[in-house]
Amino acid sequence: MTDQALIIQFQNGDSKEGAFTQLLKRHQENVFFQIKKMVLEHADADDIAQAVWIKVWNKLDGFKHESAFSTWLFRIAYNETLNFIAQKKRLTAQHKLSVLDPTIDRPSSQDAPKETEIQIKLERAIAELPEKQRFVFMLRYYEDFDYEKIASITGTTVGGAKANYHQAVKKMTTLLQGD
Amino acid sequence: MHLNTDMENESISKGLEEALKSFDQKTKQVPAGYFDQFELDLMQKIKAQKQGPKRAPIVTLFLEHKKYLVAASLLFAIVTGSLFINKAENTNDSIVNVETIEIENLPDELIEAYVNNNELVAEVEWNSAIEAAGTNLISTNQ
Repeated sequence: MTDQALIIQFQNGDSKEGAFTQLLKRHQENVFFQIKKMVLEHADADDIAQAVWIKVWNKLDGFKHESAFSTWLFRIAYNETLNFIAQKKRLTAQHKLSVLDPTIDRPSSQDAPKETEIQIKLERAIAELPEKQRFVFMLRYYEDFDYEKIASITGTTVGGAKANYHQAVKKMTTLLQGD
Repeated sequence: MHLNTDMENESISKGLEEALKSFDQKTKQVPAGYFDQFELDLMQKIKAQKQGPKRAPIVTLFLEHKKYLVAASLLFAIVTGSLFINKAENTNDSIVNVETIEIENLPDELIEAYVNNNELVAEVEWNSAIEAAGTNLISTNQ
């Protein structure tokens, strides 16, 4: 059964949950991994993914089949992820002093999984990319989405998406070579 | 992992490519049964949302008579506006009246003083005019 057929089933009210669950099973891993690549923390990715799918449930009745379901889904994921990052940035700015508080428990370096130097560098480089660039890069590199689709998801032009991708590659290469 | 093999990826160095591969593997590490549990949690949340306290529907009063309401409010605005304009005009008239009344209601002493003063001025002017005429007559006769 295609995504479109499942959506029509959902919109007609015939076994809403069944149709939704099938869409979820089909797309949840890709959406989750894309989000996790953006925020890195599993718990954060879990929160965002929950918010994304709840939004899908609430808005699917209004889906007009003007784009592929996956494009629409990733657009929701993109917006939710960016909102989450912005919110987290605000909170971090507010509680910047608590970072310096020695009484706060933090996992020791021994608890952290061992990573190679290049992995650490890459994560740092990814974290330094602007969110849009990061999202575009992940969609293109890992999901193999074409630029039209990426442009539609991120609300940019095809040229803009291409530029974002190339900028991301350039920055990551520079940051990996540096230090 | 589904990496695209376009020309554009040729610009990605070997080092970066390997790092991106291991980054992908790392992000795909999730607890066992995570996605099944995710589905259960999500469906529970959705059910709770459906059963949760429903917001009272917004009831718009007089919805079926909307055009009459619009017409009535327009009429009200026009009437109020014209009343306001008329009132403003009346206010201007009353200013003129007030000024007239004020003149009429001037105390008699003031009016008398005004008249007397003007008479005096008139007399002075009259006398000086006679004097001037007399002087002219004398000079012409000479």
